[in-house]
Amino acid sequence: MKKLNNLYITILFCSFNLGISINTIAQNPTPAKPQTKSILINGGTVHDGLGKVYNDASVGFKDGKIIYLSYVNQAESKQIWDTIIDAKGKHVYPGLIALNTYLGLAEIEAIRAMNDYAEVGDNNPSARSIIAYNTDSKVTPTVRSNGILMAQITPQGGLISGSSSIVNLDAWNWEDAAYKTDEGIHVNWPSMRVYFGNGTEQEEFEKKQKERISKELESIENLFDNAYAYQLTAKPESKNLNFEAMRGLFNGTKKLYIHADYVKEIIAAINLCNKFKIQFVLVGAADAGLVLNLLKDNNVPIILGKTHALPNRDDEAIDAAFTLPKKLKDAGILFALSCDGFWQVRNLPFMAGTAAAYGLSKEDALSTITYNAAQIAGIDQQVGSIANGKDATILICNGDLLDMKSSTIKNAFIQGRLIDIDNIQHQLYEKYKKKYELK
Amino acid sequence: MLILCCIGAVNAQQNFPVNGLRNEKKIIYAFTNAKIYIDYKTIIEKATLIICDDKIIEVGIAVIVPKEALIVDLQGKSIYPSFIDIYSDYGVVQAEKSKYKEGPQYESSVKGAFGWNESLKADFNAYSNFNIDVKSAETMRKAGFGTVLSLRKDGICRGTAAVFTLRDDNHNKALIKDKAAACYSFKKGSSQQQYPSSLMGSIALLRQTYYDGKWYASAKVKEKNITLDSWNDIQKLPQLFESDDKLNTLRIAKIGEEFGINYLIKAGGNEYQRLAEIKALKSKFILPLNFPEALDLNDPYDAINVSLATLKEWELAPQNPMFFEKAGIDFAFTSDGLKDKSNLLKQIQKAIKNGLSEQQALKALTQTPAEYMLMNDLIGALKKGMLANFIISSGNIFEKENVIFENWVQGSRYIIKNYNENDIRGKYSFKAGAEVLFMHISGTVDAPKIDILKDTLKLKTNAKFAKNNLTLSFEKGKKEDAETYKMNALFANKKFNGNMQMPDGNWQSFNANLIEAYSEIAKKDSSKTEIETGKIIYPFCAYGLVEQPIQEEVILKNATVWTNEKEGILTETDVWIKAGKIVKVAKGLQSPTARVIDAKGKHITPGIIDEHSHIAATGNVNEGAHSSSAEVRIGDIIDCDDINIYRQLAGGVTTAHILHGSANAIGGQTQLIKLRWGKTPNQMKFEGADGFIKFALGENVKQTNWGEKYTIRYPQTRMGVEQIYIDAFTRAKEYEAGLKDPLKQPVRKDLQLDAMLEIINKKRFITCHSYQQSEINMLIHVADSFKFKVNTFTHILEGYKVADKMKKHGVGASTFSDWWAYKYEVIEAIPYNGAILNQMEVVTAFNSDDAEMARRLNQEAAKAIKYGGVSEEDALKFVTLNPAKLLHIDNRVGSLKEGKDADIVLWNDHPLSVYTKTLQTYVDGICYFDIDKDTQLQKDIAEERNRLIQKMQKEKDNGEVLKKPVIKKKQLQHCNEYELLPHESDSN
Repeated sequence: MKKLNNLYITILFCSFNLGISINTIAQNPTPAKPQTKSILINGGTVHDGLGKVYNDASVGFKDGKIIYLSYVNQAESKQIWDTIIDAKGKHVYPGLIALNTYLGLAEIEAIRAMNDYAEVGDNNPSARSIIAYNTDSKVTPTVRSNGILMAQITPQGGLISGSSSIVNLDAWNWEDAAYKTDEGIHVNWPSMRVYFGNGTEQEEFEKKQKERISKELESIENLFDNAYAYQLTAKPESKNLNFEAMRGLFNGTKKLYIHADYVKEIIAAINLCNKFKIQFVLVGAADAGLVLNLLKDNNVPIILGKTHALPNRDDEAIDAAFTLPKKLKDAGILFALSCDGFWQVRNLPFMAGTAAAYGLSKEDALSTITYNAAQIAGIDQQVGSIANGKDATILICNGDLLDMKSSTIKNAFIQGRLIDIDNIQHQLYEKYKKKYELK
Repeated sequence: MLILCCIGAVNAQQNFPVNGLRNEKKIIYAFTNAKIYIDYKTIIEKATLIICDDKIIEVGIAVIVPKEALIVDLQGKSIYPSFIDIYSDYGVVQAEKSKYKEGPQYESSVKGAFGWNESLKADFNAYSNFNIDVKSAETMRKAGFGTVLSLRKDGICRGTAAVFTLRDDNHNKALIKDKAAACYSFKKGSSQQQYPSSLMGSIALLRQTYYDGKWYASAKVKEKNITLDSWNDIQKLPQLFESDDKLNTLRIAKIGEEFGINYLIKAGGNEYQRLAEIKALKSKFILPLNFPEALDLNDPYDAINVSLATLKEWELAPQNPMFFEKAGIDFAFTSDGLKDKSNLLKQIQKAIKNGLSEQQALKALTQTPAEYMLMNDLIGALKKGMLANFIISSGNIFEKENVIFENWVQGSRYIIKNYNENDIRGKYSFKAGAEVLFMHISGTVDAPKIDILKDTLKLKTNAKFAKNNLTLSFEKGKKEDAETYKMNALFANKKFNGNMQMPDGNWQSFNANLIEAYSEIAKKDSSKTEIETGKIIYPFCAYGLVEQPIQEEVILKNATVWTNEKEGILTETDVWIKAGKIVKVAKGLQSPTARVIDAKGKHITPGIIDEHSHIAATGNVNEGAHSSSAEVRIGDIIDCDDINIYRQLAGGVTTAHILHGSANAIGGQTQLIKLRWGKTPNQMKFEGADGFIKFALGENVKQTNWGEKYTIRYPQTRMGVEQIYIDAFTRAKEYEAGLKDPLKQPVRKDLQLDAMLEIINKKRFITCHSYQQSEINMLIHVADSFKFKVNTFTHILEGYKVADKMKKHGVGASTFSDWWAYKYEVIEAIPYNGAILNQMEVVTAFNSDDAEMARRLNQEAAKAIKYGGVSEEDALKFVTLNPAKLLHIDNRVGSLKEGKDADIVLWNDHPLSVYTKTLQTYVDGICYFDIDKDTQLQKDIAEERNRLIQKMQKEKDNGEVLKKPVIKKKQLQHCNEYELLPHESDSN
């Protein structure tokens, strides 16, 4: 991809990624160069991520930023754009943001050598996901081609897994990719559930579980106590890396993400954060529906786990997970949808689709994977919506992005850069179509 | 005459040398004036029981008491035959827990000429591994037991049980029957051997062993096998099988049916949930009394974790005995499972309160267990010549106030509580100083309540009465300057005589005379009030129904109908179903008898068929110990109570192929089911469908991701996988030749080779878990060489690389829409796989292998449009008609056509859209899911939960100490989960 021009764009639209067939098989696409020419996406249905939709609208961007928005087709202004993309009949969306994923930290989950998402030990606030983020992952392009253009790369495991960073998904290396580094620390709230063991020594089994629970709860509380005490001194004589990493939690420069699904864990997490006056983000939150008022009163934003989930309990409504987004919306809670894992993240738009099928409006559903996600990650001033001055991180989709039967991305721009949405899976498809002489 | 009966009445063994002097006793006891329960239904009042040594020598009303008899007057008391616990491990030496071994153990660790599987302990005998357990004996006697059938609860075959009395002084006498029953279970117990690692494995092992036993007995087998010798030997005994759940009870009976055995089944206690099927077994049962305890649900967030099923079980389990009695099913009771055996009668009272008759309760504790043990000539009643095993109680043994005083075992007296020979109740007067005071004695004979009164004023009194001796103190005067009187007196001839110490320390004689006899206040009419409970629902969990939905005649009008036939997608069309079949698909249909549903703007498709599912199965779906487990059958472990059946109906699924996992190259036999929610496992099976078997290739089979210890089972490479197949099919061919050769008879029946032979003979079909092209290619070659076809490659994520070869072989594909990157062998998995295979004219389906995804298979199908541009019509076929073809049921289901099964789904929107919802799902023309009814059900569930939680909390008010609930969670299964190691999930 040398230069962007009108001709090139036209070709691009004629045949899927024809211009990019120069890529050698089994190589990731080449990251795009910074935007040098202005681009107008003209005449599409624009979904702004803020809850509004405009038919036959135009979005113009230059030097990576959106500079022009028109909700009527502005044919006369076309002359000023270097490139005009005809988006008639197409849909334009903000690039999707995948929160809480270990994309780039895992390549093949079953192989130890290919995993970098869980550091050993329970308490690793200082571990930083950004430096392990592999921009050459073969998985990332498969996610990108479904419209996910940014992600929160999140370490996993232990009680405190480490610090996450926000990246864009088209980069040569992690420095290129970094959008907001070390923006938050992730706590996995200890499970407070006591299970039936199906064995004869149930009492012993229960006792052990209870011991573990109190030990872990104590450990979390201690850690926060100590970290709090530590940060009272600006320059301690002896540096503690973990506590240094946690410093930002107490002055609001770093976010605290607490992963908890069940109600008792959620309540305990709120209690801890009240003690230290920390505004935290709840991740997972499968039981959020049981404590909507508590979450609202404490201003807890939520990153919901998979919408495509079974109910937590046999007796629950069969669509409990599908209807939860609507409940959160009605309760006035700020929330985003997520899709745990890494390769699975490509199904993020369909999580929102299901939320729309079960009560949310389609535009509100879109917000949960764009603007709301940006708000929660603290990047909404720059990205997550289609508005003047925002990053030109934008998608053009053939149909409804949230519905799998029509969710085919035609073009994706990250900060104005037209990225190559090819991937190894598509390349293999092409290869075998040739073998069998299929169309 | 009576004296003659007593010959040989000695307490020591006759042939044992004695240290010291012989201590022979020939005491005859005569218990007179008692209410005697000769047996559970024969009661005689004012009767006499005469025993000598360990036997009853006479019982009746007009019985002449021999003059040398020691007479015990039991006026007002009752004598019952002592109880029998027919399911106990009393006194039997327990199996040692084998220590954890590094790595998997594939062979038996027992040295000697035994069988191959350690969990078959046919050679074990309880009678020769018995030690009197004084403490347990005491507890059991306290509960009223005199005799137990004792076994060692270890293993799948547990050897023999023996009958012991609960005397604690003499092993030789306590043992009254050596080989009383042969015992079985599905639990492998202390065995650390890998096989079996699942419930279906346990079932297969038992079945194979029955065949092996017959073969071993009939053939001229040259090798010795102690296990099989013992196995054959114990077959003539009563066959006792332990169950822990109603479905296991049905499974046990099914084994019994195959081998002509009517097992005596130790029930799970929840059989009432499938009573009709249980009754039809015509089996004998031992019912447990360990009813679920009430839980502490004070915290509403604890309460939400307790399922409706658990709550309902708590309420209904105490009715299990009543249901059995009403249904006329024979049963005995056991205390097995009671943490405190002395709670036996409390639990029986609970059952009686819940509708069980007292007579039946007594029968189940006495005569029935005796009959089951074939010992009703010796125990279970009080008749001449039977063992002197009886209880002396204060009255009706099933009443709360009743006290057991003595439990006699083989003529040996065990005092549990002393009774008062005299009834001291009544009103007495006595002098304290110069003042006349009154003593009122009420209560019961054995727990008299004593009050001292000054005129009508009750004084603060402390009293104790035992062995006719009364100790008493009382206070007189106002609180601050109260004076204490203390006394001790003996009761005789209806008066108390003794001495009293006055407050000033002086002594005065104490004489209390009866001035008014005691008259019992008539008891409140304790006629049982009907206990109100919720109803039994089918299945017994949330979304179960009291009344099953019925087959209906329905016309769904003016819908967009996806026929999957050459007619394609029809708009404004009607679908008419009747008697479980599709009558017609056309415009303008009418029938006066049909219910009409307006489906305008809605879509109708055939029911979704999931080719690869692991729902609705009990226990591990992997019998993953050996590299071949062709002998196991998913059909043996169908779980009709799995909530995922209902959830998937709500996703439009009507048929699911329940597969064995992928832990081994040759997995188990699969089971095709229709999602008939509320029906029994048997009724759910897709009738007449061809049998399939699961095979698996690649990483799971070679244990790649099982952890470091799992590196010794053959095969560890794909090279070995091929050899496993060739070996198995080669052996099957030889087996077949053997079966046909008259000179080689009898050939040992081999369940594993039977299944392999069925494959070769095209009577059973393979669905093979597979990923990479090399292995797919390999299995095609193996099949070609044995002249059969692989039916389906399931998962088959690299199918696109060998689509031409698959097409040539004629094998179908059942794949995932978009899974990859979870292990190495899926590194080149692509979401375009389905599109390529479909275009190459390989029959292509999408499957779930996941309980959640299965309810969105329509959406998974839609991904084939996104990835590779499959047409909408073809995409829907990926989850309907094509899996029907792969499963050989496309003549029945998969498309909408006259005469086909009425398995249909009504959607509110385009069926491939993320926005669509299932409105109704029909299987066989029965509407098993209806979105409106679902809303109502949710309300019903909430109400019923609330009622039960309130009721449970009342137990707390009644003073019960309630336990906090723990969370029970069913393991969801995927065949891909390498975490699912065999040792982690035992079959039960």
